[in-house]
Amino acid sequence: MSLTNLIIILVQAGILVNLMLMAAAYMVLAERKIAAWIQNRVGPDRVGPWGLFQSFSDVFKLYLKEDIVPAAADYRFHALAPVIAIAVAVTTFAIIPFSGPLVEIDGIKYGLVMAPNMNIGILAVLAMTSVGVYGVALAGWSSNNKYSLMGGLRSAAQMISYELSMGLAIIGVVLIAGSLNLIEIINVQTKGVWFIFLQPVGFILFFVTALAETNRAPFDLPEAEPELVGGYHTEYSGMKFGLLYLAEYANILASSAIMATLFLGGWDVIPFLDDSTILGLAPNSLPLVLLGHVVFLSKAFALVFVFIWIRWSLPRFRYDQLMNLGWKVLLPISLVNVILTGLGILFLQ
Amino acid sequence: METPNSRMFARLTDARGRLETGRTDMPQIIIDGRSIEATQGKTIIEAALDSGITIPHFCWHPALSVAGNCRMCLVNVGSHKKDTDGSLMYAADGTPIVSWIPKMQIACATPVADGMIVDTTSEKTVLAQNAVMEFLLVNHPLDCPICDEAGQCKLQEYAFLHSKGQSRFDEEKVHKEKRVELGPNVMFDGERCISCSRCIRFADEVAKQPVLSFVQRGDKVTIRTFPGTQFDSQYSMNVIDICPVGALTSIDFRFKARVWEMSFTDSVCPGCARGCNIKIGVMDNSVLRTEPRTNMHVNSYWMCDHGRLMAPSIVNEDRLSGPMIRSNGVLTASTWEEAISAVADSLKGLKGSQIAVIGSAHASNEDNYALARLASDVLQTSNLDYVKHNDHSFGDEVLRVNDVSPNAIGAHSVGLTPKSDGHGIDHMADRILRGDVKALIVMGEDLGSHSVALAEAAATVDTLIVLGTHNSVTAKQANILLPMNSWAESEGTFTNMLHRVQRFEAAVTTADTSRSMAQNKMSRWDKFGAPNDRWMQGVRRDCRLGWRIVAQVASALGVNWPYTSSSEVFQDLAKNVGAFSGMSYALLDAHQGLVLGKASSPEPAGVVYESHVMKPQ
Amino acid sequence: MANITSNTESQRLNFWEKLYLPEIARGLSLTLRQMFKPTFTRRYPEERWNPEGSYRGRPVLVLEEDGERCVACGLCSRVCPALAIEVRAAETQDDKERYPEKFEINMLRCIYCGFCEEVCPEEAIVMSKDYELVFGSQEEGIFGKDKLLVPVAQLQDRLEFLRQWR
Repeated sequence: MSLTNLIIILVQAGILVNLMLMAAAYMVLAERKIAAWIQNRVGPDRVGPWGLFQSFSDVFKLYLKEDIVPAAADYRFHALAPVIAIAVAVTTFAIIPFSGPLVEIDGIKYGLVMAPNMNIGILAVLAMTSVGVYGVALAGWSSNNKYSLMGGLRSAAQMISYELSMGLAIIGVVLIAGSLNLIEIINVQTKGVWFIFLQPVGFILFFVTALAETNRAPFDLPEAEPELVGGYHTEYSGMKFGLLYLAEYANILASSAIMATLFLGGWDVIPFLDDSTILGLAPNSLPLVLLGHVVFLSKAFALVFVFIWIRWSLPRFRYDQLMNLGWKVLLPISLVNVILTGLGILFLQ
Repeated sequence: METPNSRMFARLTDARGRLETGRTDMPQIIIDGRSIEATQGKTIIEAALDSGITIPHFCWHPALSVAGNCRMCLVNVGSHKKDTDGSLMYAADGTPIVSWIPKMQIACATPVADGMIVDTTSEKTVLAQNAVMEFLLVNHPLDCPICDEAGQCKLQEYAFLHSKGQSRFDEEKVHKEKRVELGPNVMFDGERCISCSRCIRFADEVAKQPVLSFVQRGDKVTIRTFPGTQFDSQYSMNVIDICPVGALTSIDFRFKARVWEMSFTDSVCPGCARGCNIKIGVMDNSVLRTEPRTNMHVNSYWMCDHGRLMAPSIVNEDRLSGPMIRSNGVLTASTWEEAISAVADSLKGLKGSQIAVIGSAHASNEDNYALARLASDVLQTSNLDYVKHNDHSFGDEVLRVNDVSPNAIGAHSVGLTPKSDGHGIDHMADRILRGDVKALIVMGEDLGSHSVALAEAAATVDTLIVLGTHNSVTAKQANILLPMNSWAESEGTFTNMLHRVQRFEAAVTTADTSRSMAQNKMSRWDKFGAPNDRWMQGVRRDCRLGWRIVAQVASALGVNWPYTSSSEVFQDLAKNVGAFSGMSYALLDAHQGLVLGKASSPEPAGVVYESHVMKPQ
Repeated sequence: MANITSNTESQRLNFWEKLYLPEIARGLSLTLRQMFKPTFTRRYPEERWNPEGSYRGRPVLVLEEDGERCVACGLCSRVCPALAIEVRAAETQDDKERYPEKFEINMLRCIYCGFCEEVCPEEAIVMSKDYELVFGSQEEGIFGKDKLLVPVAQLQDRLEFLRQWR
């Protein structure tokens, strides 16, 4: 790897990370705005036009807040937990294929994707989300607070329980696409139909488990305010809290992007047909790639909207209900889904 | 004189002769179905009151003659109906058939007769009461919001209990003079007056100053003083209490507080040796007014104006707060610990004969007993006495007596008298000037009230220790000044000139006492106020109970007394002093005071009549 | 145990309800519809609300041309469940004989129940429309006569409401 290559990759990573964190910060604003609309309120509208700079103000506020570490906390892990959380959340974006490459320098193509054509792409995603639990569990444990610990434990149990169904939900897609490479999976959908139509049950399963994995309502038990104060981030303040908070939203965005990739055809514009022939643009031509970016992000953010919409519509599960759903409902369904998909492929091919 | 009443009385007497239902000296009557044994010669209202039944009334008062002009006490009176053969008649259900007197009778002027049946609750009686109330309210102004009587007003109370709650009177009410000063202390409002004549009869019969009278007739009737006179009797303010409405109000108290804003504590007037029972009205921890409390053994229903007006100022004015020690010739503030140890240090090296102790006829039995005990047990001095206060111009035939201290008998009884080898107060000045007395302890007393010589001599004593309530000359001369709770701030007992030991409760709190801890009477605001409420920030003087200061001095001198409350001091007193034996606060309360040496044979308590009840309590 | 009627969740729900998904969709559609409805809240300091006469804002004393109506009867103080009102009366040579020498409402204690207004025999204390109460200390929260007296002209809505409905 040349030095130019390295610099370019660093710049690329910088752009991506900042874009994603910005997106996560704006999702906080979106969350508040949508919550307000659903509750017939106005929502934040003080900072900037329509309150658009609210996110910056929030982040500045968090930077200026005192960073409080509880006296009895394990300060090393207390500091490490938010770093793990945000790092894992951001790393996931390295694998997500936003669209084709945008520029070519020294014969190497660069786009928003850090690691295109990673042949175990989807496994990497699963691996990353699994590591994500460490952040939450560590935060809960190191705070030395019963509520935080409870939140961390719940989170760990919940993530492990739902990871299983999530993995099985993906298997259907992988079986049909015949690849673990995310770009390959999108390419299959670009030429054919989106997998949401072939794998509707798989999509719903993945969506539900994604809600649980990202600790979103109605599965937000780890931070259930009425019982656990704030859950694992009770003892966090200032930018450490900010990092945990941003990591949550980054995870939502990552999950949405992966769902867009796996089930909604990634950057594909039209569900059942090949875009390039319909739009009359050469495959991987710059206009189509740019359009692809827009389409991909639109799909991802549409799913983010659904995440938020669900949060302000559905009440929280009870812990036993959560576990029942995960193990007794979702897991059997996902197993049946895998078997039926396998049988379908066996008989149709 | 033949009146309708006397004619009816004669008829009933005849009937009783024929009925032969019981003894003739104790007539049996039935009131509202209750059989009652009355005393011959009493009226129905008195007989009912003796049995705990209150018949509504305005003009009747047990200590005044019967006027019978308010008509509020109208009751249905009858007797058991007899058949032609003389046998008593009963209805089918076994209840007696009553032959009612066609017209209703006033209970205050109808004497009881054997076999009399009285009904105070039937429809007819209620209608009569309603009608009387309606007439009384025709011209009574609706200015309860302004009127000081509101909250303890008999008319207001009866308007709730015995009235229909609405008026059919559309015309304009009669206007009369609203602010007439009948005397220096009593304000008269003609519009509010319901012409019950209680004040007129009081002036005639009790105050013996017959200057009040009705003038005009009909609805123009009002009360005036005789031209050229004013109602300035020493007992004039009692008419304010007995006035059933707010027509007579106190010029001194006017508008200071609503009745319900004050707490009323049972106490004893410190003005003279009569020891009139009083209630102290307190708001925001300051005494606003006092009023008499019925005690038939002492003051019946009354108290004198001097006592009434003096009591608040005794508590509120010119008081000491915070202990002081004289250093370099100037009294400077100190802490209690410093002051008490300074007292102990100054007394330690002295022989008993070099110390003299002067108690007070103004202090309670408890304080004086503690002081006497300190003198005899701890200091071992024989020189102890108290100052007598006699004012020969003060006494009169009603209540006031020449001894203007409340507890001279008590101070004497608890042992504040010179021992055989000691010297009393009359020789004190000489002894001091001769240099025999090195330390003088004075409690609650201005020595100038005994003699100028003693006051001047006291200034020359090496150590003058003063336990004082007020900023008197003696207090200013003190070497060590220990502020003491006044009587209104302490729980304790006084012994009056009839040797009756009477208990008083603390009405005002000091830094030493707390309203809730001492279970003082509390108004709603006292109960629920918080320290940051402005009205709660009344004066709480830094003074202590007299016996507690004495006990602390004793403790500093190495003798510990286990007193934690006034009642414990009194228990000790009852145990050690023969005259008090058998007494306790509970017994004093139950019998409205006990006479020295006669705790085992108290007089019967009897029924206590209060003209109006304090509703807010 | 036999006569205990069980009423579990699964017994109460029908098949479609047990599936959850249709019900979730129903719930989501409800919130989605809410998003397009007009807002209830307003941009407060710019858009102010003018209450009706029935509104119970901070209690005030009615000020007539010839002084306050209050006669310092203390009924408001007595009825106040929060002990917010302190009244001290004094004598005046006017016809009404007494007036409030001191009238203080501790706005930190006041709970806006309106009992003072209801009990007032003179219609002298009424609930105003004033809902903007800001103070920087506990002491500032105690309103004296200077802040409480409001000219009768400004209170017409409330007085009209009281006349009509009380």
